[in-house]
Amino acid sequence: MSDVQTPARRFSITPGDFAREYGVLTIIVILMIGLSLISDSFLTARNLLNILNQSAPLAIIACALTLVIIGGGFDLSTGAIFGVASVAAGWIAVHVDPYTAIIAGPLIGLALGTLNGAIITGFGVHSFLVTLATSLVYRGIAILITGGALIPVRIAEFSWIGRGRIGMVNIAVIVLIIFMVIFMVLLNRTTFGRRVFAVGGNEEAAILSGIRTNLIKIVTFSLSGMAAGLAGVIAVSRISMASPQAGIGMEFEAIAAVILGGTSIMGGSGAIWRSVAGVLLMALIGNGFNILNVNPFFKDLTTGVIIVVAVALAASGRRSR
Amino acid sequence: MHTTFKAAILSLTLATPLSAQAEDFNIAFLAASSQNGFNQAIYDGIKEAASGYDNVSTQIFDGEFSATAQFSQVEDIVAGGKFDAIIITPNDTVGIATALEDAVKAGVKVGTTLFPVGPELTEMEPQVPGLTVTVASTPVVGATAQANAVVDYCADKDPCKVVVLIGQLVFPFDNVRNDTYKEILGEHDNIEIVATGEGNYSPQDSMIAMQDILQANRDIDVVLSNADQHLMGAEVAIADAGLDMSQIYTLGGGLNQIAVDAIKAGTWTGTLAQFPKSMGAAALDAMVDALNGETPPTWIDEYSLRETPKIITKEWLDENPDFEPEWQG
Repeated sequence: MSDVQTPARRFSITPGDFAREYGVLTIIVILMIGLSLISDSFLTARNLLNILNQSAPLAIIACALTLVIIGGGFDLSTGAIFGVASVAAGWIAVHVDPYTAIIAGPLIGLALGTLNGAIITGFGVHSFLVTLATSLVYRGIAILITGGALIPVRIAEFSWIGRGRIGMVNIAVIVLIIFMVIFMVLLNRTTFGRRVFAVGGNEEAAILSGIRTNLIKIVTFSLSGMAAGLAGVIAVSRISMASPQAGIGMEFEAIAAVILGGTSIMGGSGAIWRSVAGVLLMALIGNGFNILNVNPFFKDLTTGVIIVVAVALAASGRRSR
Repeated sequence: MHTTFKAAILSLTLATPLSAQAEDFNIAFLAASSQNGFNQAIYDGIKEAASGYDNVSTQIFDGEFSATAQFSQVEDIVAGGKFDAIIITPNDTVGIATALEDAVKAGVKVGTTLFPVGPELTEMEPQVPGLTVTVASTPVVGATAQANAVVDYCADKDPCKVVVLIGQLVFPFDNVRNDTYKEILGEHDNIEIVATGEGNYSPQDSMIAMQDILQANRDIDVVLSNADQHLMGAEVAIADAGLDMSQIYTLGGGLNQIAVDAIKAGTWTGTLAQFPKSMGAAALDAMVDALNGETPPTWIDEYSLRETPKIITKEWLDENPDFEPEWQG
């Protein structure tokens, strides 16, 4: 059910088993070695921190989305929540107060995510359909807030969370690390986490075990919304610009990262670190292309091939278990 | 007096039914995306021009940046029979042609803004039989003006290192622009295009592309882009890299309020002028003329709508302090 292997299996692991079990990490290492050999600019602290910084908003969403998917759900509204939270935070920062805006983004996300969960469990409709529908509603709200225009937010009290640094490390990266650790603890070290695995693994059995499955589902969607809101605030803060189109397609990138990492799309198994690794793999591909100045036409092609290889490795790992 | 009175009665008798018969025109605007500020500005121009007529009403449709969504909208409009004319900002300039051709055959007048409709992006005369008007200019014109400005700036630099931030190379119009940049800049041995990044018309994506490009190329002289949104993202990446944007020659495209502010402040060097509101108004007027049985020009050059240079610089803005751009950003 969980991502943890039995002790006996750990001791007998071969390089082939490792590559299959940790497909996404294997591809990341191969890519990093390759890019380091081709470009002097790649393996520098500045560039690696740069990749982490760029990945922070998507990785934050992917962390929370992992809970939703392990719990047997699907959230197609994260991109739209990211958009609403972005423009709402931008508007509040300009018209009300920048610190209120930073808090408001995740809270708006939390409210919209909770609404998703309430509709899904209340009406018994599949999360795929509900979040597809609510994503349209949320995107519409983003347009209503802005009228389709960008909102410049050049306010130092707001931009620190996206652009500030402690030493060489961006605050956004620190936020991501804290967020990731909290979610890892939540998933692997709490009763709530065990119940998320139980609901995604076998919902009927979970109900019979006395688990309030609806409540667990609502919480996973609430956290997913909150994460999208937080990511939205970080992104707006970083570019000092709120756009109603922000986050379009981000839900698919987040889902791709989670699946790419090896979390089961069927629910019941997965890990937070896997999703972050999936995000980093996609970021590495983009970074490599930009650094090497390869024709962008080849980017999608290469990204697709690498994703297929990583997913195939992960799938063969699951079969061999 | 008696004769005059009778003439007045006769005139009123004739005029009353004529005015009562004045036809109402419903005109649909098929935006590439109603969520996009540029498209919203085109529609603002359409609405403003329509308000000058008593009998014209307009409605916007959201093309969702999707070719298929827009194709279906044309089919629905033709089937519905409610609209007399369509003004479109096409997402797919080639694929939409057949749907528009059917619309024309069904008696719906069709005009296009920003891009022509048909296989040739550089051909402004109608490629769809019966198309009423194209309000646009070929992407080559703007890209040429931008590339020539870069050539002028680079004249005394060797090497002159240029970063190109283009929208998306899968879009035919961006491909045309990129080819134009490469062709003109390639004629000068001192100019080197060190990187080409895709900005996807998003400040966020542009920032990421520029951050990566700066890892390998810190000593750049020029950032050349087809969109102001790209420069917004590039500005963040350049500042984060500890570079001074005002020391780099930066040229965007679109001429929105954010760009004007940045150019006035001396942060950006310039931008390619575009006038979405004027385009929308010109298209609406042409469609109303056509619906009234007149013959409007088949092509209205975007650059004939406002008297400005193609490349807007700080010098020009300082000389024209009252100038206002036509869209926010």
